[in-house]
Amino acid sequence: MSPATSTSRPLRGLRVDLSTGAAVDDELPREVAREYLGGRGVGVFLALRERLYDVEPLAPENLLVFAPGPLTGTGAPASGRYSVTSRSPLTGTVFDGNSGGNWGTALRRLDLDYLIVVGACDTPSYLLVGAGSSSGAAASGDGPPVTVHPAGDLWGLDVPDSLARLRGLHPDCEAGVIGPAGERGVLFASIVNNRGRSIGRGGLGAVMGAKRLKAVVVVGHGAHRPPVADPERLSFVAYEAEKLLKANPITSQALPEFGTSVLVNVLNQAGAFPTRNFRESQFECAQAISGESLRRDFVQRRAACRGCGIGCARRTSTGDASGDGPEYESIWALGAACGVGDLKAIVEANYACNRAGMDAITMGSTVACAMELTEEGLLAGGPRFGDAAAVAALCEATAGGEGLGEELGQGSARLAARHGRPELSMSVKSLELPAYDPRGMTGQGLAFATSNRGGCHLRANMLGPEILGVPKMIDRFATLGKAGLLINLQNLNAVLDSLSVCKFTGFAMKEDYYARLLSSVWGETVEPQELLRIGERIWNAERLFNLAAGFSRADDTLPRRLLEEPIVSGPAAGRVVDLAPMLGEYYVSRGWDGDGRPRAAKLAQLGLTEAAA
Amino acid sequence: MSSAVLEQFRQIGRDLFVAGLISSHGGNMSVRQGDRILITRRGSMLARLGEHDLVDIGLEENDANVTLASTEIVVHRAIYRQTSALAIVHTHPPYAIAQSLMKDEIVPADSEGSYLLHKVPVVEAQLTAGSVEVAELLPRWLKEYDLVMLRGHGPFAIGHLLEEAYQLTSVLEMSCRILTLTEGMAGDVKEYRKGSDQYGSW
Repeated sequence: MSPATSTSRPLRGLRVDLSTGAAVDDELPREVAREYLGGRGVGVFLALRERLYDVEPLAPENLLVFAPGPLTGTGAPASGRYSVTSRSPLTGTVFDGNSGGNWGTALRRLDLDYLIVVGACDTPSYLLVGAGSSSGAAASGDGPPVTVHPAGDLWGLDVPDSLARLRGLHPDCEAGVIGPAGERGVLFASIVNNRGRSIGRGGLGAVMGAKRLKAVVVVGHGAHRPPVADPERLSFVAYEAEKLLKANPITSQALPEFGTSVLVNVLNQAGAFPTRNFRESQFECAQAISGESLRRDFVQRRAACRGCGIGCARRTSTGDASGDGPEYESIWALGAACGVGDLKAIVEANYACNRAGMDAITMGSTVACAMELTEEGLLAGGPRFGDAAAVAALCEATAGGEGLGEELGQGSARLAARHGRPELSMSVKSLELPAYDPRGMTGQGLAFATSNRGGCHLRANMLGPEILGVPKMIDRFATLGKAGLLINLQNLNAVLDSLSVCKFTGFAMKEDYYARLLSSVWGETVEPQELLRIGERIWNAERLFNLAAGFSRADDTLPRRLLEEPIVSGPAAGRVVDLAPMLGEYYVSRGWDGDGRPRAAKLAQLGLTEAAA
Repeated sequence: MSSAVLEQFRQIGRDLFVAGLISSHGGNMSVRQGDRILITRRGSMLARLGEHDLVDIGLEENDANVTLASTEIVVHRAIYRQTSALAIVHTHPPYAIAQSLMKDEIVPADSEGSYLLHKVPVVEAQLTAGSVEVAELLPRWLKEYDLVMLRGHGPFAIGHLLEEAYQLTSVLEMSCRILTLTEGMAGDVKEYRKGSDQYGSW
């Protein structure tokens, strides 16, 4: 296809220095758009260019890059997303979080592709971008007005109250806010937007808190529409994509009907549902905390991000309180990981994390670590497995920085190290592992070990091929022959985070659909393998960042338990992860040397030679 | 080579023959493992593959194993070099070959074929087996389509897994059987798909 109009153009941004209040226009050449797309890709491009690996994560010099992607707000399926990239205070790696909601679309409606925030405010403040801030200082060029507003009366408010207050001040705004956790520097604090969707995991909320930045508010509705070169073509490809999403039972039935928590019983039956800090891989109370139970007892209604027909989110109520979620991961972390089978307590603990603006996976996993330390006699008076009340109380204490909560707010790696048993932190690169026991799905072990942002399932989730049979079922216990598939998933997910499109579409769609969608938007042919090459470039750029930050092959590993302690019972009984041969195969397939450094030929192929210098 | 990989080749090779997608010694398959290719041996019977029927050979550099590899190794290499494929299945299905002799593109009319293929380009070469001409021609098309038909010879299907490429091959042949059946019937085909008039531009 070759429509007349091309919308692959220079990327238009704003750079705001909180220390001075100055905002200036920023631009990245068209080549950057072709090589990094937007979102996560642009984030790592800027993180490398600005040498954030030399910057302390909580120092004013650290950047936050807010960036939607070229598909955001265009009508492509499930594309109402954006990324935030920075150096993580939890992991020390480059770190991007990706979230749904309306925030990304609102920024694009201001004709902006990214927003860089640097420096720190003297007093609590929030940033207002767009029409609603016309009384403030404008950026130096043609960009929308940007102003820094005092947020003294917002500081200390929880997430829902902060969002409500901002909505009162700026009707129809889209806001990304931090809660008390971010303000206090909890290393896994999130940035949460109006739809209750979070930039979670790596503590970018703490980076905002260190900058005394309570919120980034965008007023962009009804203004500029994101450009689409060939709307008719986009409509046709989007229709065909929606057909696939509707025909796939995961995206048309499982996720809409049960949400992500449908996975509780699936993973438990497979013997890959980590229980009590990964001591076991099946939970006797799985049914009680399953997606089916959640739907029966707590779900009020489905919710969806902008432009999404899947609708995986859930609005729930316990009778005493109501809120968003929990998701599969948070049910697991606040439940099975801690040996807790009381779903009401889990739901309420999740609400506490949401209110405080904290990542529920790391919160739950850190409590689980504390529970094992207690049972090992290393944490006097600490919580014990199965104590539901303790989980909820520790969530509150962590948000408030009280008692043991102060320690928990640093994450499990620091907690376990401090108490002399670092191996009891179930984390990779200090990021807590999510709800998949890699002893029951070995490819996922390789995915965790090689993830650029630490123990994370969103870099690449082998759940598809190893458990769900997407695209096809493979032997989940096999060690070799998985590197190529994993690399493709890692590269593709880097693309999806940069476009920005929800990864759940990947259960039904392959890269050719994303290429056709982007081709329609840009008016230039983008081939599927070109997209994957872009993903590979982003992945290697992240690797270069982490190498410069001091990470090495030694960090591409798993907690000792997963390598040495066989699963005791269930379908995966007797299994451990034989990581070394898989890692060797992975490095060769990546074009990296034995130390995990991209070879010169690979860097040249990806145009990263200069970035590596 | 892991036993799991051999088993995958065995099962799919057997299925290809049983389904009538290849003759006794026809067709070939491969998977990419980093900078190596595992490809079926020249003259091997895909329905009866043994360990000695899989040949490990370099993606970029040739070695002595080229004496054993499938005739189509030059095509497989070219595809892996230029596309994101991790697996290739090449077969000789009769209905698809028949359709390719009559058309420049195959547009399935059935639901399964429409979902998975939309459209299959038919390309032609004078030297159809293991030729540099085909190696230069096919990857260009496989950048945009997971399955391309070589006129009079058979389809090359790609995927991340062998099973994916096998599935596309199987669906193509089923769609071509249905097309052949309907084209032999009197009357017009009744359209039931929204947007099907755009499939030719897929």
